[in-house]
Amino acid sequence: MKLYKKEGNILQILSFPNETVEKGDYLLVDDAEARKALIAQVIDVQFASIPGVLEELLRSLPDGGELMQGEDFDPLGIASHITYIQDASLLVCKIRASVENDSLSPSSSWLPSRSQSTIKKLPVPTLLKLAKIDGKLPIVLGGTKDSSFLTIDASNLDGRLNIITGKKETGKSHLSKLLMVNLVGYKATVVVFDLNGEYISLGMTGDGKRNPYYDKIHVLTPGQNFKVALKQVNLHVLLGILIHALHLPGTSAREFRRIWQSLKEKDSLTLHELGEAIRNLNCNQHVRDALSSRYHALVNSAFFTDNIAEATLLEDCLYKAKQYGGAVVVNLRNTSTIDRQIVVEYILGKLVDQLTSWKLEATFLFAEEAHLYLRETYWDDIVTRMRHFGIFTTFITNQPDTIKENIYRQADNIFLFNFTNEHDLDVVSRAARVDAETVRSIARDLPPHHCLILGKVVKDFPMVVKVKALDVKTMGETRLFFKDTN
Amino acid sequence: MVIEQYTIAPTPKYNFSQPSIDTTLPQRFIEQSISSLKYVHNQSFQLNQQPFQQATDIELHAPTFQLKAQPITLKSNHEETPIVACDTSTIKIGETSTGMLIAVRGANVCKQGRSYKYTRLGPFIFHITEENRREVYDALERAYFISSCRQSHFGFANLLQNPTRIASLLERWLQAAVSRTMNEGLVLFDGSLTAGTGDTSVERLKEILAGARQYRNIVLALSKMTNLRINGYLITELPIQQRTPYLLETIGLRPKPPIVLLGDVYVAKLSHGNYAFRLDIDKANSNEQKIEAVEKLLGNDSLSQGYPETLKLAHIFCTFTANEVIAMQHFIARKHGLKILNRPDMHKLLFGPYGRGESYS
Repeated sequence: MKLYKKEGNILQILSFPNETVEKGDYLLVDDAEARKALIAQVIDVQFASIPGVLEELLRSLPDGGELMQGEDFDPLGIASHITYIQDASLLVCKIRASVENDSLSPSSSWLPSRSQSTIKKLPVPTLLKLAKIDGKLPIVLGGTKDSSFLTIDASNLDGRLNIITGKKETGKSHLSKLLMVNLVGYKATVVVFDLNGEYISLGMTGDGKRNPYYDKIHVLTPGQNFKVALKQVNLHVLLGILIHALHLPGTSAREFRRIWQSLKEKDSLTLHELGEAIRNLNCNQHVRDALSSRYHALVNSAFFTDNIAEATLLEDCLYKAKQYGGAVVVNLRNTSTIDRQIVVEYILGKLVDQLTSWKLEATFLFAEEAHLYLRETYWDDIVTRMRHFGIFTTFITNQPDTIKENIYRQADNIFLFNFTNEHDLDVVSRAARVDAETVRSIARDLPPHHCLILGKVVKDFPMVVKVKALDVKTMGETRLFFKDTN
Repeated sequence: MVIEQYTIAPTPKYNFSQPSIDTTLPQRFIEQSISSLKYVHNQSFQLNQQPFQQATDIELHAPTFQLKAQPITLKSNHEETPIVACDTSTIKIGETSTGMLIAVRGANVCKQGRSYKYTRLGPFIFHITEENRREVYDALERAYFISSCRQSHFGFANLLQNPTRIASLLERWLQAAVSRTMNEGLVLFDGSLTAGTGDTSVERLKEILAGARQYRNIVLALSKMTNLRINGYLITELPIQQRTPYLLETIGLRPKPPIVLLGDVYVAKLSHGNYAFRLDIDKANSNEQKIEAVEKLLGNDSLSQGYPETLKLAHIFCTFTANEVIAMQHFIARKHGLKILNRPDMHKLLFGPYGRGESYS
């Protein structure tokens, strides 16, 4: 390999056919005289612009577009050299760091010698060692191209905002499950908004047996094993549900507050009493109608109950998870949009309560397709305010444009699976920790289950990893009509 | 009841140059190429890519010739006729402290029916120095053209002429070979049928033409450029009011000795457009045979811009592309350990943007 050009932080390197370099590989451009080296990542492989190649190609096809028949008597074997030159490739590389005295710096301000520099592939283990991508809480994500394991440190997910994105069936949920079970393994508290019921069998192996996480996975299905009594709910949580999920106007909310306080004083906070109080409320008809319709929405959600024995204490699940590590999986499958929003409002309100009162230290929140249940104002809340309370969110989506640009800008880690759509790639490339060229070039060619990892977990050295298999029961499969043929 | 039968036609008599071509000359080319490169190990060489133009039309003629007033009108003759064309090219690929590195390649293209087939010989790379240039050339010439070896001292004015001489030698060998490997065909040469020049002796060209006649082939030589003039005008640019295709015969063309014309010279305008070419046809053929040969060319080959496709392809296949030159430089550097130098271009150094220098990339 030979150094050809440097423009900004882009290097162009000439590579010959016997040197197999692919997109995503790291190269070390070592200038022995300067005692410095550059670490560059290949983001594109192009044909080198060799003069005369067009003539060469045209010459082989003059016979009406058909390959012309003929015989070459080439005693010196020049043809192999022609092929060698013709197949030379140009590696477009992004400089990631400089190495000087075995320490890394992000600078790319110096110019290595074009004639003296040696260029070689930098094996991933060496890079991991140089960049110190290890740590005390390792999570093995999978294998890299040179058959080494990529291990990240769980503490690099702590206090961070993560995004897992990619098109359908590329392995997003699989990676989020992998991260989740590893966090649970390190006794972390994890809450999952499980839109499609994919995480409910995390405690089971592929063949249906219990796995080590069985006791740590608490599946809550709203309306079934997850109901709350009004007595367990704080007024501000319920008001949050009424205002944000059920769009109760301000005047009616004030009336509701009065009713709530009056019922609380009488110690009769039940759905039945609440319904009666609204019916007998002496106020404007519109206000009563508004309250009445929201009341029926709450009743119909089947999430609220007057039977205390039936009610589940979320706090208990969270407490267990806090003590031994565990995941509270909120199964939102078969839940209507409104009910979903009610449940999510309730859980987030409860979480904030628990965190502000230091009953919980911190929670890792995994939110699948959050745009389907998270109200507009919560996005900023989650990434800014709630982060300070200790809610560290991982968004998982196959529609990257449903996540707002400011979320991308603040994302600390991005786990990117294959995208072919330009628009999707555009959206993801707005993330602050990534350069657009890398995203566009590498993500487009990622095979299924291969993930480009960007951000703090890889110390800003974008890495491609084949996500390792996980022995848990798969639940995210699409229901098919033509089962046998597929 | 009539049983429909296919007419089984006899296999045509002609055949094309077989892959098992007589490799005597190429063998010598390899030997000489390797032998000449033996002494360049670990030297430095300056990249310098420069194609040599083969002199195709050395006109040492008496300026008294004329064109016949009446053009010969031509009609396409579609009788299936094999056509073979030969061409060679040479290029300087670098300079060493003692000489230069050149590459030579030859190609012949055969047309049968609608398909073309090529045979390409080379590239052969030579290191030519003042010391070995005669030795290389003589060895090559002796290998095939034994009868005309004595002519080899001709025209060795300087080192720069050597590449074209070596290419010319390969071209004559190719011509001789293809003239004898088919019957009743047309053999197209690039250039003229002028002999007695530095690189083509009269005997050698006579030998080639005789060989072609022996196999009932007719040799047609087309020159892309000529400097034959009448009243100051190039013969190919004279305004002639005649529908194409046609031939105009020259009369009274007598070159000065030792130059000999072994063909009759015509101006050939074989298709619509502005392009006419000098066409030499083997003198030994009758007028009817000559005209029939051109008509067969019209009927059997594609003639875009009045130039036969077969000959065009032969030229294309032997020409060196920039990519090939780089590959040969790579070969020499790898195989013979030559170090590539980038000596400054004195023209550009002295005259800046006004110095054209030697053009290489």
